[in-house]
Amino acid sequence: MSNLDLQRQIDSEYRWGFVTDIEQEPFPQGLDESVIRRISAQKGEPAFMLEWRLKAYQHWLTLHEPTWATVHHPPIDYQKIYFYAAPKMGNRPKSLAEVDPQLLATYEKLGIPLQEREALAGVAVDAVFDSVSVATTFKDKLETLGIVFCSFSEAVREHPELVRQYLGSVVPYTDNFFASLNSAVFSDGSFVYVPKGVNCPMELSTYFRINASNSGQFERTLIIADEGASVSYLEGCTAPRRDENQLHAAVVELIALKDARIKYSTVQNWYPGDAEGRGGIYNFVTKRGECRGDNAHISWTQVETGSAITWKYPSCILRGDNSVGEFYSVALTNHHQQADTGSKMIHIGRNTHSTIVSKGISAGHASNAYRGLVKVLAGADNARNHTRCDSLLMGPDCAAHTFPYIEVKNPSARVEHEASTSKIGEDQLFYLRSRGLSEEDAVNLIVNGFCKEVFKELPMEFAVEAQKLLAVSLEGAVG
Amino acid sequence: MLQIRNLHVAIGGKPILKGIDLTIHPGEVHAIMGPNGSGKSTLAQVLAGRDGYDITAGSVQYLERDLLPLTPEERARAGIFLAFQYPLEIPGVANVQLLRTALNGQRRSRGEAEMDAIDFLDYVKDKLALLGMDDSFLYRSVNEGFSGGEKKRNEILQMAVLEPRLAILDETDSGLDIDALHLVADGVNSLRRPQRAIILVTHYQRLLNFIVPHQVHVLAGGRIVRSGGRELALELEAKGYAWLSEEISDAADFMETYL
Amino acid sequence: MIPPTAYLDALSHIDAPSNITAARQDFLGKFLQAGLPDSHQEDWRYTSLAHLERMPLHAPEAMPETLPALEDYPGALLAYSDDRLVWQDTTLPATVLSTLSDAIGSGMPAAFGSLAGNGSLTQLNAALWREGACLRVPAGERLRQPVFLRFAAAEPDAMLYPRVFIHMAVGSDAILVENFLGDPGIEYWQNPVTEIILEAGARLTHLRIIEDSKLATHTGLTAVHQASDSSYRALNLTLGGQVARHELKLTLAGAGAEARLDGVFIVEGRRSAEQHLRIVHLAPRGNSRTFYRGLADGRGRGVFDGRVEVRAHADGSDAQQSSRNLLLSPHAEIDAKPQLEIYADDVKCSHGATVGSLDEDALFYLRSRGIDSETARRLLLEAFVGEALGLLDDTGLRDWMMPRLLARMPRSHSEESRP
Repeated sequence: MSNLDLQRQIDSEYRWGFVTDIEQEPFPQGLDESVIRRISAQKGEPAFMLEWRLKAYQHWLTLHEPTWATVHHPPIDYQKIYFYAAPKMGNRPKSLAEVDPQLLATYEKLGIPLQEREALAGVAVDAVFDSVSVATTFKDKLETLGIVFCSFSEAVREHPELVRQYLGSVVPYTDNFFASLNSAVFSDGSFVYVPKGVNCPMELSTYFRINASNSGQFERTLIIADEGASVSYLEGCTAPRRDENQLHAAVVELIALKDARIKYSTVQNWYPGDAEGRGGIYNFVTKRGECRGDNAHISWTQVETGSAITWKYPSCILRGDNSVGEFYSVALTNHHQQADTGSKMIHIGRNTHSTIVSKGISAGHASNAYRGLVKVLAGADNARNHTRCDSLLMGPDCAAHTFPYIEVKNPSARVEHEASTSKIGEDQLFYLRSRGLSEEDAVNLIVNGFCKEVFKELPMEFAVEAQKLLAVSLEGAVG
Repeated sequence: MLQIRNLHVAIGGKPILKGIDLTIHPGEVHAIMGPNGSGKSTLAQVLAGRDGYDITAGSVQYLERDLLPLTPEERARAGIFLAFQYPLEIPGVANVQLLRTALNGQRRSRGEAEMDAIDFLDYVKDKLALLGMDDSFLYRSVNEGFSGGEKKRNEILQMAVLEPRLAILDETDSGLDIDALHLVADGVNSLRRPQRAIILVTHYQRLLNFIVPHQVHVLAGGRIVRSGGRELALELEAKGYAWLSEEISDAADFMETYL
Repeated sequence: MIPPTAYLDALSHIDAPSNITAARQDFLGKFLQAGLPDSHQEDWRYTSLAHLERMPLHAPEAMPETLPALEDYPGALLAYSDDRLVWQDTTLPATVLSTLSDAIGSGMPAAFGSLAGNGSLTQLNAALWREGACLRVPAGERLRQPVFLRFAAAEPDAMLYPRVFIHMAVGSDAILVENFLGDPGIEYWQNPVTEIILEAGARLTHLRIIEDSKLATHTGLTAVHQASDSSYRALNLTLGGQVARHELKLTLAGAGAEARLDGVFIVEGRRSAEQHLRIVHLAPRGNSRTFYRGLADGRGRGVFDGRVEVRAHADGSDAQQSSRNLLLSPHAEIDAKPQLEIYADDVKCSHGATVGSLDEDALFYLRSRGIDSETARRLLLEAFVGEALGLLDDTGLRDWMMPRLLARMPRSHSEESRP
């Protein structure tokens, strides 16, 4: 494929870029203690929550934005951001009938039906619009099993003891610049608790939508699988097309107790900016899970196609003996997108196993980096890790990087890392085209094959979505 | 020369062999057959001294000695040879280096003089000719890049060089086409001696058409459920292993209940 | 902090050609401003030089009176003791092989000092090197024998700054061996810098052997610049030193240049060995192969940090990197950091890194053939390391090197100490 072909641009259309015209609760711009007090008051939080936020804020003031990632952006003015934005709807609606029809229409348009009778079979959805959760489906059904699935604000009010016990226990408010900021100002998010021995019978899903302009989104997700429990969770996100950059700094904490299993899948499709690199979301996210008991299992799967900049490293702390951590990732960057993503696997317990599979695709002027750490502590007898990082390059102006760190202190451990970087194969393209495929179809076929190992980890409906998303995101990258 | 008495073996607490009795005399060829997972390979590995198996009961006498406390190399020097089902690839160690180090280790332990490189080369070339292998085999890394057939022939070459008293061939026939099988079988037959016993561990009776055994044992569920002459192998060939299953479960129930 | 007087005093000991005295003062000033690197710098995150601050380091005093006992070197030899040339055995003309100060005395070699960069330890070497060595192979010439540069330390607490400059003219061909060592049981610090320029089509095979004393600190830099179709093949052996760190900066600047970097490190006791490779593909069709093997025993720590960068327009680049490491004791540590930074699309790059222990299946296989476990272990370790030693055959130096290497192999463990 010639460079000329590659650069033959078909303007990529971000199909989720519309704006919902809805009245906002007024809120001041910028950040100081009073803003945090106001967020906390707005949500009717107990005192411990406000205290925690304020400590996080004080700590955040001592930190600087990290600079080690291979991403570049103009300085972020934190005093220009609206740290809270909510559609005006009085108190949180008790039922879908009370939800503003405009919001329902928005989710309908996004393909996320909130009417339970029309909902995707077997998927419960929590919908977060800017800073608040607007609806959660199938709550009652889940409650009969003792499963708590609700907005974070509601969990703080209804289950303060669980929140208090687990919040910040995997990602403390001191963890890093963006996690501290999130701890101070987080507005809403999802909360899941699956009690002992319960297998959650449906996929739980949160759909995040940024709508307001100049606002940041700081949601917080906390998932606890008690002993022997299991749950599969999916996160999706979109934002309108805007010329300015918007900040999204979320924190996700997963806790798997003994014999528990958590599967967390993300299809990240925030607005990536236009072909010239104007606008788009800065997606600076801290995601970490801890296998706190023996035989626990945490699996992260992510398909990252959106955002102007992605900075995230979903990680596993393998504390329990025989615990398992997995990370499967597809990151696609096109135009001027930048991604710096990967995983950390910290082996503490004995017989702990981890797998990392990372597939990076760079096109246009984009840059895509895998950054990861596999650390085996001295007590982690028989730890095993296998890491595979592959990068696919499309076009002469993109970049792909691999920065793995391997630190092993136990001789019975076996750690293997493999990486490769190559151009999309001309021979393969030619072969497929000689069998009658269009160039675009041939590229999609090859890219999907390249990502297959990751897609097979996604719940079925979302695997199909992810493939389509990849094809759309690649538009303009090939002729 | 080999007496196995009531041998019980477990892996990680899970019983695999549940009371094996077997006696083998010099010059005899015994075939051990059985379905997958019956414990055939476990028996072979335990005789060679592999770690990771718990011997929970029973004894193994070899040439009037207790075999079980011996390390793998002591067993090898005492004349036990295991041809591996999956011979390992050892990059960087030349075949000739392995063979000479192994042979000289044995000679030293027998109080014999070590063989120098020149004598050794003459010695090993005769063995190569016997198996229809060429010299280049010697200088390649052990089993690295060998085809399945070449690996199995290489095992037999090692056997020819080390001249064991008791050779255990673990699924040596698996993965071989008919020509390779002929070569391997001819090699083994040429190594039959009045002083040497051979145990053939195999799933199929095909190999026994070429290497005719004195006795055939059927291992199932961790026990020898049938022993007989060559005709037993033919019976298995005709009927498969399924017909044994009732007998096995009966025998198992019997053992569980009355032991 | 080592008092600046120690360095200033060292500078006053040097009879430099007058044309570089001012430059030396300038370099020293820059070093004193920057100080010793510390582990907050990403490239030094695994290294601590804090112990240097506690040593009474000084420039070597008197010229050693007795000649060191020299082992047999099968080629031309310049032997240094405490940074002074004490012996030479060569028939090569001085225009080809001489001390660096002599070479500078008769005119500064073009490009001297241009490759080493501006790391603080490099500045320090630039300020304080003494006689140094210079090899200039004329166009089209092939040296028949290897050139050995032997840098030995004899004085306790000495700071040593070996400096080497190699210029391979168009189409020339040579074998270079740098050997760093010191009296057993003494503490000292070697901070050498070697610059190597390969013009078009030149070929250099380079063995670099660290055999410093078990208490020594070695912080070395090799900087290589390759023009088109040149070939640089190196074998880096780190067998000694309490803290041994070697940084190799290699630039494939001309089209079709080829580099092959092999290495072996062996650590035991409380020793640490670090390999930092920075390979930059600047021009089209460059080919680099990196192949390192590491053994860590005792409380030793081995670090492999390899970075391959393929710059824009370096199309057709092919870079492969392999780092395999064995941990032989429960207290040893291996850190690996293989990195790829790619800014061109028509490339083929890969790296692989493994950390594990000796293969128990292979050990059993050999034992089942009657080989005792110590011999089996030794065979496997030698085979493992041997995969990176191909250049010993190509240079005819296997017989010279192997006994020295085998002497440094981890001694066999008893049966019980195996996991």
